[in-house]
Amino acid sequence: MGKKTEESSVIVVTSGKGGVGKTTTVANVASALARKGYKIAVMDLDIGLKKLDLILGLENRVIYDIIQVIEGECTLKQALVKDKRFPELYMLPAAQTRNKDDIKPEQVQEICRQLRPEFDFIFIDCPAGIEQGFRNAIAAADKAIVVTNPEVSAVRDADRIIGMLESAQFQDIQLVINRLQASMVKSGDMLSIDDLLEHLCITLLGIVPEDKKVLISTNKGEPIVLNERSEAGLAFNNIANRLLGQQVDFPSFEEDSLWGKIRNLGRNLFSKE
Amino acid sequence: MLDFLKRIFADSSSRKQANDRLRVVLTHDRTGTSSRLMETLKEEILEVISRHVEIEGRPEVKIIREGRHSALDINIPLKGR
Ligand SMILES: Nc1ncnc2c1ncn2[C@@H]1O[C@H](COP(=O)(O)OP(=O)(O)OP(=O)(O)O)[C@@H](O)[C@H]1O
Ligand SMILES: [Mg+2]
Repeated sequence: MGKKTEESSVIVVTSGKGGVGKTTTVANVASALARKGYKIAVMDLDIGLKKLDLILGLENRVIYDIIQVIEGECTLKQALVKDKRFPELYMLPAAQTRNKDDIKPEQVQEICRQLRPEFDFIFIDCPAGIEQGFRNAIAAADKAIVVTNPEVSAVRDADRIIGMLESAQFQDIQLVINRLQASMVKSGDMLSIDDLLEHLCITLLGIVPEDKKVLISTNKGEPIVLNERSEAGLAFNNIANRLLGQQVDFPSFEEDSLWGKIRNLGRNLFSKE
Repeated sequence: MLDFLKRIFADSSSRKQANDRLRVVLTHDRTGTSSRLMETLKEEILEVISRHVEIEGRPEVKIIREGRHSALDINIPLKGR
């Protein structure tokens, strides 16, 4: 089947800090869109530390990798791994035995140029850090998704990354807050969505709750969006819909208890700056 | 009574601490400044100004945030004659 949209989007998923959920986000948002029939390519640019193949459960299908494409050992088409569940989803694997300096931004741009006519969305899984791997990952993208956790060090890194994306002239930068625990926000022990938006000042694309089912689905190599009853799966699905331009309300995590309301009122009245 | 109310409602949660610390650290990260530098800046600005006019009260030199942009906010009360 051909692609659905005229203009394709190349979206880099990045964070600065490692382990916040970039690869999980790429795997699930891509799967959700592929399930709706969009043609999707996911590109793993975490050269040397690849994980996207495992999270998508495609590790046994990998034959070639991106470096072999760049070095002319195979064609781009030969290297693309077709997903087993979604016929519209393809993955371009990272090389495991090389490192980030073995590719250049122009080579990523060239691959994306070749992918654009075939795919509606191209997602780039960016490695942690702000070095060469980051520069490669943002080189060909028209939009960026910054993933963070409600935790001071992740927010600090996200802020740094947003600054670097702005310097690189990105106009479209959106935030995904992953691993939110509403109960901890309520008890005053976790940064809230509003707190994060106040610090980072960018548009919110999604809120993904902490969910044990994420690990279970990773163990199986199955995207969590396939699990209709998982909260995280639902959240990733909502992100996919928002990327398609749909208006999807954000769940409210406001303080709803009476004591919470009284306490908030009291804090506003009495708390000193 | 008011003090008592203030005490029970004062927000000492770890969330508040995280927000306060982030506010400072992000401002410094974005502008390439530090608390130490701000102190030096304040001392030097006050020195220059007091060479010409008399300062009174509590002068303030701080960075304020507006969205992702920052500005130096200098408030120096001057003594009237
Ligand atoms: N919403 C969630 N709830 C619970 N666990 C999660 C959630 N999101 C991610 N995780 C877990 O966090 C870990 C890191 O996730 P992931 O590999 O997606 O992060 P990453 O940002 O790609 O990491 P890296 O920087 O190493 O590439 C994984 O073990 C994953 O299962
Ligand atoms: Mg990753």
